Amino acid sequence: MAVDSIPPIILTQLNYLLNHSPHSIKVEQMWSGSKNPSLLDRFTLVIPFCLDYIKWDVIYNAQFPLLAPDIIFGPEDENFRPYPVGKEGDLMPKNSLSDWNYKDPTRLLSLIHELRSLYMVYQKKRVSEVDDERLKFEISTMYSREGIEMHMSSGVDKPEEVKLAVPLLEMDLNKMVAGSSWRHQQKIYLQVIYPVSRKYLAVTSAPRLKLISSPELKDLFSIDEFRLPPWLEGMCMAEYLPTLEEMLESQIRDAVSSIEVRRKFITALAVPFGRPLEADPVFCRKATFLACSGVFTFLVHFTLPLQFPRQQPALTLQSSQHFHSHPGKPIKSAILQDYPWSPRWDVAQMAERIFDYLVEECLNFKKHCNEVLVQQR
Amino acid sequence: MYNFVIWIIVSMCLLFLLNRSSSGAPILRKITMDDICLQKIQISGPTLASLIQRVSSSDGDVDGLLFGRVTQIIPSTLSDDSSANTTSSDEPTLVATLTSFFTSTTTSTFYSPSGHLHTPALNDLIFKCTSNSSSDDRLIGWFSARRKTHLRPSLRETTVTASLQSKISPCIFFLLTTPFHDQLIHTHEYKAFQFRSSTHSFDPKTIDVVNLGPAFRGHYGNFTPNSPFPDLPFEVKGLNSESMVEDQEGKKENQQFGSLCHDDDFKIGRLKNLMGSGAATYTAELEELYNNMLNKVNGLAKLVEQSSARVLEQENHNMKLRYKVAGFE
Repeated sequence: MAVDSIPPIILTQLNYLLNHSPHSIKVEQMWSGSKNPSLLDRFTLVIPFCLDYIKWDVIYNAQFPLLAPDIIFGPEDENFRPYPVGKEGDLMPKNSLSDWNYKDPTRLLSLIHELRSLYMVYQKKRVSEVDDERLKFEISTMYSREGIEMHMSSGVDKPEEVKLAVPLLEMDLNKMVAGSSWRHQQKIYLQVIYPVSRKYLAVTSAPRLKLISSPELKDLFSIDEFRLPPWLEGMCMAEYLPTLEEMLESQIRDAVSSIEVRRKFITALAVPFGRPLEADPVFCRKATFLACSGVFTFLVHFTLPLQFPRQQPALTLQSSQHFHSHPGKPIKSAILQDYPWSPRWDVAQMAERIFDYLVEECLNFKKHCNEVLVQQR
Repeated sequence: MYNFVIWIIVSMCLLFLLNRSSSGAPILRKITMDDICLQKIQISGPTLASLIQRVSSSDGDVDGLLFGRVTQIIPSTLSDDSSANTTSSDEPTLVATLTSFFTSTTTSTFYSPSGHLHTPALNDLIFKCTSNSSSDDRLIGWFSARRKTHLRPSLRETTVTASLQSKISPCIFFLLTTPFHDQLIHTHEYKAFQFRSSTHSFDPKTIDVVNLGPAFRGHYGNFTPNSPFPDLPFEVKGLNSESMVEDQEGKKENQQFGSLCHDDDFKIGRLKNLMGSGAATYTAELEELYNNMLNKVNGLAKLVEQSSARVLEQENHNMKLRYKVAGFE
């Protein structure tokens, strides 16, 4: 038997979970609970929840891999009882564990998925039990919104806080970008953190707000450059959210339309440079062209910023003829970002000006390449 | 004046009574109860050691049933202060004592994957475990042992304990784990809980390991160890039974030993022959007896060795079958 192997039945279920989960679940660590520690049968799952992560240990038994796994929840969730315990003879509602079938690879996914939904309900209940008038009011105004996740954090050394993850914008971002290869649904959330105040205060402190998006969205839109509208005193979420969504929606529409601007620019580059060797067809953020000056042949990499054309593309030259001796990598220039540029030029002029600049600059690069080669001798 | 004398006599009598009850042994009494809080859980050193041994020798996770009793100790905290007196006597102190346990080679023998009790299997186990023992110990909880996991109840353990709680009260859950890192000095961690029906939660309890020795004399006096002698399939009386002896000396020695023990009616009384004039001849006889005994012990040890080899062989075979089912081949 192979060292550190996972029993095949367990591996099939785990792989199915990792590949088919709507949330991007990860395995943090895997280890063995057997006397002979070569069989890995327990692992920690890192499950996204409320813009944070929850870590659950899944405990299988390598000696008896046909048995259903057990779950150990986080230390803060000792009171989380997902499945009700009835008296003997009561008809218990079925759950993912009660009719466990080791032959079915989807079982672990449905178990984790079921537990995550029950955990969501449990956290919502905890939040609703918090004795804070303002919080009660804010939550009541947001009830019509779907998919809000809540988390009540409390610990010995932590302040009591209620965290909300409010999904913004009803539009389907995945559908807005033609040909996008995003595997998970892209979404933008507003993270709202309320410090819990037990007694009535005349001046309530503003909630802490932060915009968070799914990580792959950065190819289209940068959440960090979005400025949140100010939170005015006496404001409530029901007032704040529509303004925020309106601003966000218009900026995202701009971001989507700027894909077209970038696409036109790349098409225009093909006039002086010839067809690109490689170009990013979805977000049009990258393109590479082959160019030559006399016999000196080199590649030009274009990296287009999200603020294109306000911000000019970054260029990198890469020689096809000169290589670093030791790692054998082609010699590259520094990032060129300081060349004549105006966002007011039309795309054809932009392409023409870059071409003219490179006619001069490539000579410097060739000189640099030769110097590197001389140094290597 | 007369009244004063009576008052003194009455108060002296009271003092005497109070002293008596505080110095005397605590009163033990069996009781039945609903959701009453245990003060602590007692376990004898050998029982804990054998539990840990069972856990650490197993290949994977194990669990099983715990047997014992719950006793009420009327605490000896009586004082002369009448106000304190009334409050303390209302709350009896309950102590659970774990005396034995049962485990099979696997987990999940008496509950479903979702953690609900399988009553016929559980009753069967309880019957098997309690029918032989003469004491009136009963099921008082269960334990779970899993290597390299956190020392807190899991999803299934919670469900099992909660459903067990509806059958027995109080219900104890004993959790054994090993640390995640091998380089730590300690090799085991354990924690005992009482499952409370009122709050529906685990209530951690202190574990009192009762050992022999001067330091434990006080509570060892109150503790009845219960380790029934295992039911061995041979008769101690007929030490010459053939199955036990497979040494080279064979039957002849046996018969001799048997004759020593039985025909000559070897009694403690004969040991007094060691004193006095006949001692020299008698020592030879006694040495022969010891020699025979040693041979028998030797034979028994060989038998044990052979049978454990067979058990190991069977276990390996079982493991291979399990791996086959699990798709390793």
